[in-house]
Amino acid sequence: MAGNKGRGRAAYTFNIEAVGFSRGEKLPDVVLKPPPLFPDTDYKPVPLRTGEGEDYMLALKQELRETMKRMPYFMETPEEKQDIERYSKRYMKVYKEEWVPDWRRLPREMMPTKKCKKAGHKSKKAKVTGQGTSLTNPADVLKKIEELEKRGDGEKSDEENEEKEGSKEKSKEGDDDEEDDAAEQEEYDEEEQEEENDYINSYFEDGDDFGADSDDNMDEATY
Amino acid sequence: MTQAEIKLCSLLLQEHFGEIVEKIGVHLIRTGSQPLRVIAHDTGTSLDQVKKALCVLIQHNLVIYQVHKRGVVEYEAQCSRVLHMLRYPRYIYTAKTLYSDTGELIVEELLLNGKMTMSAVVKKVADRLTETMEDGKTMDYAEVSNTFVRLADTHFVQRCPFVPATENSDPGPPPPAPTLVINEKDMYLVPKLSLIGKGKRRRSSDEDATGEPKAKRPKHIADNKEPIPDDGIYWQANLDRFHQHFRDQGIVSAVANRMDQTSSEIVRTMLRMSEITTPSNAPFTQPLSSNEIFRSLPVGYNISKQVLDQYLTLLADDPLEFVGKSGDSGGGMYVINLHKALGSLATATLESVVQERFGSRCARIFRLVLQKKHLEQKQVEDFAMIPAKEAKDMLYKMLSENFISLQEIPKTPDHAPSRTFYLYTVNILSAARMLLHRCYKSIANLIERRQFETKENKRLLEKSQRVEAIIASMQATGAEEAQLQEIEEMITAPERQQLETLKRNVNKLDASEIQVDETIFLLESYIESTMKRQ
Repeated sequence: MAGNKGRGRAAYTFNIEAVGFSRGEKLPDVVLKPPPLFPDTDYKPVPLRTGEGEDYMLALKQELRETMKRMPYFMETPEEKQDIERYSKRYMKVYKEEWVPDWRRLPREMMPTKKCKKAGHKSKKAKVTGQGTSLTNPADVLKKIEELEKRGDGEKSDEENEEKEGSKEKSKEGDDDEEDDAAEQEEYDEEEQEEENDYINSYFEDGDDFGADSDDNMDEATY
Repeated sequence: MTQAEIKLCSLLLQEHFGEIVEKIGVHLIRTGSQPLRVIAHDTGTSLDQVKKALCVLIQHNLVIYQVHKRGVVEYEAQCSRVLHMLRYPRYIYTAKTLYSDTGELIVEELLLNGKMTMSAVVKKVADRLTETMEDGKTMDYAEVSNTFVRLADTHFVQRCPFVPATENSDPGPPPPAPTLVINEKDMYLVPKLSLIGKGKRRRSSDEDATGEPKAKRPKHIADNKEPIPDDGIYWQANLDRFHQHFRDQGIVSAVANRMDQTSSEIVRTMLRMSEITTPSNAPFTQPLSSNEIFRSLPVGYNISKQVLDQYLTLLADDPLEFVGKSGDSGGGMYVINLHKALGSLATATLESVVQERFGSRCARIFRLVLQKKHLEQKQVEDFAMIPAKEAKDMLYKMLSENFISLQEIPKTPDHAPSRTFYLYTVNILSAARMLLHRCYKSIANLIERRQFETKENKRLLEKSQRVEAIIASMQATGAEEAQLQEIEEMITAPERQQLETLKRNVNKLDASEIQVDETIFLLESYIESTMKRQ
């Protein structure tokens, strides 16, 4: 290409004067490593502003930090099980107010799904009473039992299908859930505790009696 | 979102809401809009925890949801809103200066809880104020309501979008998520409530003292059995209005520094008059006539009309162009150039940073390049009257830190470097962005250091808290001086020294955070104002 002054000789392709170095001058070294983590500063920083406003905001900030930790919005991470359970820990738990969000403002899928049959019983009862249908009593009871069983199956299968298509079933579930929540005051926390309890989930399979089923072998050991 | 912003959001969320919410929040900020199950799968948390975390985030206006086709609801995080959490103390302090303690507590409750109904806010604030009053006195709900109405009238609190009341004869399944609407007119409409009552004082046995063993608390007493009159009408703090106030404060104090107190008062009056009439992101306020300004000056100021006119002329002629003259009717129509004012403030911040970091000679070169827009290397040396070697060194230092940039102007179409002009220039927008990024990094560093310091001395802090609790309980049961002395000596002198140092350091770090946040606000406002104009 034009401008190749001489083979093998180093030549700048641009006017070195323009960038500020004179010819023949030693160029600054090439930096071969990343800049230091805590570089030295030539000048000390200016001291912070002080005054009444600043002091007040400082106190506010620290107070807010403490208050936030005590609010119900602060979700504690569940602690790992310690090898020895300390007696005092039970009595040193900080009391936190429960917080129930306004479900009307949130998408339906936010509501905790009721996996446990126990909770299902309560909700179904409330639901049925909430609907206020005027059925006559004896037929009513039988119908209720049938409905409860069917509802129990419906809910269980909902929970299983959670991984797959969610929205259609969810909307139906959510529909029922809304009525339930309107009818009763179910604590949010209670939901969560019951959901985490896998034991109960597997215990209540379809078709099992409520609580009466235990090991058949037990019958033998009654003396 | 830059890495620095994400890191800062992560630290803020963790401090305020815990690790689970932080994990979900940061994931949403990183990846954008996502449906529920994808979040649960990607973060590896259980569905139920994700739901809880999302409820908390939505409550605090940090996450919004949208219904997409096929009924899928997607959640999106608002990164800028998360960063505003840094500014909470400033919002609360501003409310205190404008509306005294009542206003301060109202804004604090709204910020801590995200959204609340008016009746809930009034009740809580009245209770809190009653606590601080002397025995026997209580705070009336009416007074708190009045302050709330005043806050709503000046737009400091606004209504949240609400669920529209649909008729029940809606056929088909209900939608997966409610679409929230808000009308411009309704945003500041206070519902007609007759809140009658007084604040209740909490019984002293109910007060929590961390460290004191307590019996199991009774479950939350549901004393809200009566239907709430304003159910469904939620209020939130209007952060934009606070930002507008901060911006006005910045402009007024800049004028006061540059000129004198009287001119800053005039500017403050003009800004106050245009508060409601001008939208917050307008480049300049509505024109105000000199007569109007004269009438609206605060009562204490008795300057004559001519003096006012002189001041206005002076302000309009000032090279910084905070105030501009837009016409001659009504004794002279004047506007405040908000965009230019923000630009001047941002430039002043940049200049100050260069001065403090690199020295006053560098600052001279910086101001020179700013003023002359484009300069060659040789010209810089000549105009700044600094020897070539030093000038070159300083220019390269600033160039490497991206305060100054290089503009190439080719003489020939083949852009040959030997035949190209290289000009130094300052691009204010990109320098402001760079500085903003550094500020985010600084605050993240400050928070990390503060957490580190606290963690290092955790054992000592806990010990001192326990000792304080013991002393407090002993004082309550009436103990002798000697016993108290003994308990106090449980903390040795070097430990006390260590605690003092820790406290001083933490205070310094906190105060630094607050001050860096002020710079962040200025730069963010300037960048936002510039982007809106393009």
